[in-house]
Amino acid sequence: MADRSDLKAELERKKQRLAQIREEKKRREEERKKKEMLQRTENVSEDSDLDRKRRETEALLQSIGISPEPPLVQPLQLLTWDTCYFHYLVPTPMSPSSQSVSPPSETGSQESIDGGTVGRTLQWDTDPSALQLLADSVHGCRMQRLGASKIVQIDFMPKELVTYCKETQTPVASDQPEEEEDEELSVTKSEPVPQQLEEESSQEAEEVHPRELTNEEKEQIVHSEDFLFFFDRSIRVMERVLAEDTDIFFDYSGRDMQDKEGDMQAGSNLSFNRHFYDEHWSKHRVVTSLDWSPQYPELLVASYNTNEDAPHEPDGVVLVWNMKFKKMTPEYIFHCQSSVMSVGFAQFHPNLVIGGTYSGQIALWDNRSHRRTPVQRTPLSATAHTHPVYCVNVVGTQNANNLITVSTDGKMCSWSLDMLSQPQESMELIYNKSKPVAVTCMAFPASDVNNYVVGSEEGTVYTASRHGSKAGIGEMFDGHQGPVTGISCHNAVGPVDFSHLFTTSSFDWTVKLWSTKHNKPLYSFEDNADYVYDVMWSPVHPALFATVDGNGRLDLWNLNNYTEVPSASVTVEGGCALNRVRWASGGREVAVGDSEGRVWIYDVGEQLAVPHTDDWSKFARTLMEIRANRGDGEEEGVLELPA
Amino acid sequence: MAEVEDTLKRIQGINGVIGTIVVNAEGIPIKTTLDNSTTVQYAGLLHQLTMKARSTVRDIDPQNDLTFLRIRSKKHEIMVSTDKEYLLIVIQNPAE
Repeated sequence: MADRSDLKAELERKKQRLAQIREEKKRREEERKKKEMLQRTENVSEDSDLDRKRRETEALLQSIGISPEPPLVQPLQLLTWDTCYFHYLVPTPMSPSSQSVSPPSETGSQESIDGGTVGRTLQWDTDPSALQLLADSVHGCRMQRLGASKIVQIDFMPKELVTYCKETQTPVASDQPEEEEDEELSVTKSEPVPQQLEEESSQEAEEVHPRELTNEEKEQIVHSEDFLFFFDRSIRVMERVLAEDTDIFFDYSGRDMQDKEGDMQAGSNLSFNRHFYDEHWSKHRVVTSLDWSPQYPELLVASYNTNEDAPHEPDGVVLVWNMKFKKMTPEYIFHCQSSVMSVGFAQFHPNLVIGGTYSGQIALWDNRSHRRTPVQRTPLSATAHTHPVYCVNVVGTQNANNLITVSTDGKMCSWSLDMLSQPQESMELIYNKSKPVAVTCMAFPASDVNNYVVGSEEGTVYTASRHGSKAGIGEMFDGHQGPVTGISCHNAVGPVDFSHLFTTSSFDWTVKLWSTKHNKPLYSFEDNADYVYDVMWSPVHPALFATVDGNGRLDLWNLNNYTEVPSASVTVEGGCALNRVRWASGGREVAVGDSEGRVWIYDVGEQLAVPHTDDWSKFARTLMEIRANRGDGEEEGVLELPA
Repeated sequence: MAEVEDTLKRIQGINGVIGTIVVNAEGIPIKTTLDNSTTVQYAGLLHQLTMKARSTVRDIDPQNDLTFLRIRSKKHEIMVSTDKEYLLIVIQNPAE
């Protein structure tokens, strides 16, 4: 009710105001016209200034003098309260307040005025300032009257995409075929039928660039006379071309062929697969040992020695990597307080990893437990090892297996995996009852649990046996001039038995092939230019073995191809010295560990890795040749040793 | 007709031939002995190349026209026999 009475009062005021506004509007228009006239006569500025000043003063006076200056304010408020009413009464006065209607271009709201009026006509300048002043006073007077403002919704219709449905026979779809078709049309005479078919089909699938014809269309095309004519002619020519198989590029100098062969070989024979590296655990550590899991061919265990840059980290780290998945983090991480020099999966216990450390302890980790530290450790006592253990090996069968470990003081211990608190048996490896052998590497021939071969720091190789009348060191094999770093027994099973063969690698840059029957090497491979750190026979191919050296080179030697040079060779990225090489059990992959903590996996191509059935006999012949050659060269000092 | 099929099979059976594709004037393969993605790729690319070669020939001499196009690469040889509307593409390994 109060509002109603207020409204009536305001209505009256409004009427007055409207009249005033009309007058003002007229005045403004007149002034504008004057200004235009003045602009034409180039007297704009002065008059407009004057006018502006006049109006400004008026506005100021008005604002200061009388508190409510309804003429300019009221319409705004009424607009908010009762728009329709206001509209009905006074259409035009909206213009001065909103300052929109009179100039034809402007529409809309208060905000636009303040911003948009600068520079339109000089008359407008006063009004926003006046309005602002008034608005301020309004804000001062009436703060509580706030109502919902009418939302002016402006919708723009979505832009219409004008498309034409092409039903004429003119070429359609993308530009290129259009151009080409135009060319063709202009140049050649086109048959109407196939063209129609093509156009229809192209209409069916316009945007897709590799368009497809339906089978019926294809059949139609194929049966068309035109096509048959073309086909007949073309096939004739094509068959003639195909029949002539001469290789126009044949180079009689043979250079081309060599390149091709080389490329093919290098490309397919030994290719990089992936590498394993962990920022945290393998950085700055040397890979000391590698082993593949017998149960899960994709698992690879690698042991690392100390990281000098991180003295607070454990000295020994063992990581189990998984080849199957692309992730770059190890499956399992194990620690040890002392550097791990050798590691292996326990053959008959899939969950156990055995490591021999620098301190002489043997550590046993179990991946079933969540601990990273060993679950079992041998004691540091005189009964066990007190020197670094470089060789660990599980030999035997499922039911009767032993862990054999040899340390560099010549002590060999045999353990049961259930009890690592003391060895089952231990033996000192002494040669000639005087010299203990400083063992750096050890290998068991395939399926032999009693006899094995060891390489020593002095460069001599010995056979040894665990039990029997000749327990201990057997024969000595002399040949290397430097410490023996790696030893590998031939373990490919095939029609011919080569288990008496073994190879050794040494610091003297050579790799030597031995037979247990002769105490001199059968052959010496001297292709390397640095310490050769490891050697391993392929588990499937009788004549193939891999070596790694300090130059970062991984060599694959196939003795059936060449004995002088490796059949395949690759230098590992980074050029770090490679410490270990291990074939995967399938004989198709080679794992290489380097001195920077990286493990590189290389794929060996089928040509090289997979043996043919005649490779065994070939190798037997190769051996005979080697023996014959060696027999010619050296005739002294060759002792035929009892097998 | 069966002749077309037989002939294509015969061509495919020649030692060293990797694949055969018949393409129409728009580059859409009509017949092929290769898998779909390879076919589409070859058809599109060779169609464009043939058009370019044809226009080259005709630019030099408007009375002339392209009949055969042979691309020899390190690994393969691609032979395109062409006429007004169709292309016959044969990919072979020339070493054999």
